[in-house]
Parts: sequence; structure tokens; C-alpha cells
Amino acid sequence: MAASFVEQQPHDALPKTNHDELARQHFVRSFKEYLVSSVHPGLKLAYEKRAKVEFVAEHQREPENISEVGKVMRKDPHYQAWSSLLRTSQEMMWSSAQIPVQRSLANLAESAQHHTNGHGSLSLDPSLVIPAYHRAVDIHCQPGGYHTEYIPSDVAQGAIYDRAVYIYAMGQMGRDNADMGDSTVAWLKQEHPDFEPTKILDMGCAVGHSTLPYAESFPNAEVHAIDVAAPMLRHAHARACAKGLPVHFAQQNAEATNYADNSFDLVVSHILLHETSSKAIKNIIKECHRLLKPGGLMLHVETPPYEGMAPFETFLFDWDSENNNEPFWRKSHTLDLNELARQGGFTEHAPLQLMVPSAFQETQRTLTFQGGDFGGGGVWFVYGCQK
Amino acid sequence: MSDESVVKLRRKAKGKRPTYFSDPDVDRLLSMLMALTGELSVTRDRLDTLERVAAAKGLFSGDDIEAYQLDQAALEARAKRHETLFGEVTRVITSALEDLEEAPSDDYQAVVSLVENDDKVAPL
Repeated sequence: MAASFVEQQPHDALPKTNHDELARQHFVRSFKEYLVSSVHPGLKLAYEKRAKVEFVAEHQREPENISEVGKVMRKDPHYQAWSSLLRTSQEMMWSSAQIPVQRSLANLAESAQHHTNGHGSLSLDPSLVIPAYHRAVDIHCQPGGYHTEYIPSDVAQGAIYDRAVYIYAMGQMGRDNADMGDSTVAWLKQEHPDFEPTKILDMGCAVGHSTLPYAESFPNAEVHAIDVAAPMLRHAHARACAKGLPVHFAQQNAEATNYADNSFDLVVSHILLHETSSKAIKNIIKECHRLLKPGGLMLHVETPPYEGMAPFETFLFDWDSENNNEPFWRKSHTLDLNELARQGGFTEHAPLQLMVPSAFQETQRTLTFQGGDFGGGGVWFVYGCQK
Repeated sequence: MSDESVVKLRRKAKGKRPTYFSDPDVDRLLSMLMALTGELSVTRDRLDTLERVAAAKGLFSGDDIEAYQLDQAALEARAKRHETLFGEVTRVITSALEDLEEAPSDDYQAVVSLVENDDKVAPL
């Protein structure tokens, strides 16, 4: 839990919330904090004193995997209540972020078009096919997903997402929701102080909240950011302009971009990989290899793989797979990442798999990962490789 | 009244909504209860703002509210309002007792059958 109440930094691309709309969003933030601090801890107790006891009585041994833990936990009243509340908090989060956007959508879309004061660029491709892994269900329960458009030049999904990320992380990603980018940049500056990328690409950038730290910290670099969803990119561009940072946003699929071979020094993504598919993730790693200059660096920020986690903790961390519309979450957390890099062409160097501390000073480092507490661990998992 | 110029955003995330309790209605009720709690919190925040604005403008403060003494008429008016509130909230439970006091009519289908078929009854 953050030590103090960190409110999101206002910017021109966000809707103006009235008193009650803001109070509703703050309620959801507090609700989520309460679940993390006061309801989630009871799960361990319920497991040790009730669910596990039942399993041991039947099998004369402890549960050994998430499926065995799930079999008994799904019947546990505390788990049922926690899950039901967590799912509800997620739905309320989206709803509270939707209300002010719906009220002022026409104005938001209109003003987004004017936020083009010479900073970076926006290039949309209406013919781009939204991949099936985004169309099949609305990822992490945002109604309409990343890509739905309601009006011409729509920004609704982006404006909603921007505010929801803050509520989701409960301020634990800083005032600009920038912690994933900030932390990666801080790691780069520390571990590779002489690295001066001249061209950077952020894949699956959403509203560019993780992209801007690169533009800020490498002012001499040309920063590009891609996403499949036009409403995200329109909002991202308006947001970057509002913050005075030059980023070139383009509607492209990270599996196959139109940039030239060997054109980037640094290719990054932030919680993109777990929202793709088995086929797409391979394509993306291959594409990273194609895009990087020799010696260039690929870095994907994620939550850590399940390997080495105890069955009970894994079961809870796996909650999003089936309960928050994250269909690729489980598989993506159990992949052989070294093999993935090798298949993608990264044979020049050994892949990196490391825990990078959060750059946000007020984050408490619990070093634990649990459903409903995004960013609460105070560390990020970074997977990558040098070409 | 709904404003037709306002775009209607999708409210349901595509994908089956999971439920957790043995009766899915409990999940739905809990969700409504939390929404209600949220609206209560919004109202409390608004009252808090009201007190802070009033204090900032020199009108009255939170201490004035704590020090306020209810007179007899106010006490009675509030008790009356509480009773109405309880009556509304527990209506589904308390009103069911009326059926026990009066003629119970559990078999609704019997009534349907009666009104549907009363033209078939031979005249006296």
C-alpha cells in the first residue's frame, strides 16, 4: 500500500469529473485497497485451516498444483466472497471511469484532435484487423475492450483506460501511471549508463503511460509507440501532447509492423505479452529481433512467471486467468522464456529474466504478487534479450 | 429522462461473468450491495465537502454539527422517518405476513385458471 494518498496527475486529455463522479472513483480505489489489506489476507487462513485440511483428509497429502488448490478453495466461503467482491470491484472501476467519459465524450474527442501542437505524430490504419485475442473477450473486463469505437475520432476507451489504470493500481504506479516505464528506464540507466538509444519502440502502448518515461529520459531519441486500438492511440497522442512530449503513435500490430529491419536500438513492451496468444507471442519476439539493430535491446515488462511459486500463492496469482478475462495469463506465465527468445532468433546473447525494483519511491516493496494488487509488489519482472 | 445526444457506452464486458456462491443470485446481490455502499460513500463525501465549504466560508463547522442539540420535534420527526425507511427496506419480508393474516393464496396458478376459465362456468 502506498504510504500516502497519491492522486493521478490531471492532464488536458482526461475528462473533467464532477464532485460525485470523483467520489465514486475514490470509493472504488478504497474498496480495492480494503480487499487487498483486509480481505485478501484471510484467504491464507481459510486455506490453512479449512480448505487444505479437507484436501489432506481426503488425499493424505497437501495440494501440489493450482488445480488441486482450486478444487478445495472454490468451495471455501471466504474465497467465494473475496472473488465475488474482487470481480465486482473491477466492474465498478470501469463503470466509475466510464461515467464522466460518457457525459463528455463529444468534447473529449473534439479536443483530442486539437492536441496536435507539433509534438510527435499520430498515424491510424482503419484497415488493420483487430486480432482475435482482443475480440474474443473484453480483456480485464473493460466493456468494449481496447478497440471499440462509438463515434468518429473516438477516444472513449482510451480516456476510460487512462483513469482506470490509476484506480486499478491504487496510485501505486505514481501520479502518471508511469512506473513500469520509469522502473525500466531507471534499470537501464543504472546497468547500461552508456546506452544512448537513438530510436525506441514501445509495443502495445495503450495510452502511452509507460511510453512517456522513455521520451522524457532519452530526449535525443526518436520514440515510436504502436497499438492495435485507435481510441487508445488518439487519447495517447493527445495525452503526450498535453504533457509536451514527442512520441510517434501508429496503429500497428506488434506481430508484424511496417518498420524497417535493424531500425531500433531499444524495443520495449509493458504488460503486453500476457494479453496476446501462443502464436502471437512467438511472432512478437521474432518481430523484435527483426526490428532491432545488432547490439540492440528487447525488454518486456511483465509480472513474474509461476515457476518457483508455492501452489497456493500461484492459485491466487492465477485468479485473473479465469476471473478477469485474461485468457492468456496462465499460459504466458508458464512459458519457457529462454526457448521463446531462441525461437525468435535471439541466439547472440543469453536472455534476461530479472526483477527490477519499482522507481516509484512511495511504493512498499512487499515483493509479493497477488490478484487485485497490481504494482503492489514494488518490483517488476523484466524479460528480454540483446541482439 | 435520458439525453439522446449522449453516446451509450457498453456496460458489460464481453465474456461470461463468473459467479462464486452456490446460488449465483448471491453474487448479484453482493454486487448490488457494493454499488449501494458506493453511492452511500459518495453521499457521505458530499456531506463532508458541504461541511468543509461551509467552514471555509465561515458559515458553520463540523463542530457546530456535533454540538447541535435535537429538540423534541426534531427527535420525533426523525424517528418517524426511520420507521418509514425500515418499512421500505424490509417491505418484502414484513408485507408477506399480511398473507398469513388474511386469506392465504399460495396457488397463483389456481387464480390464473380461475380468471381464464370463468366464462366456461355454467350460469346459475
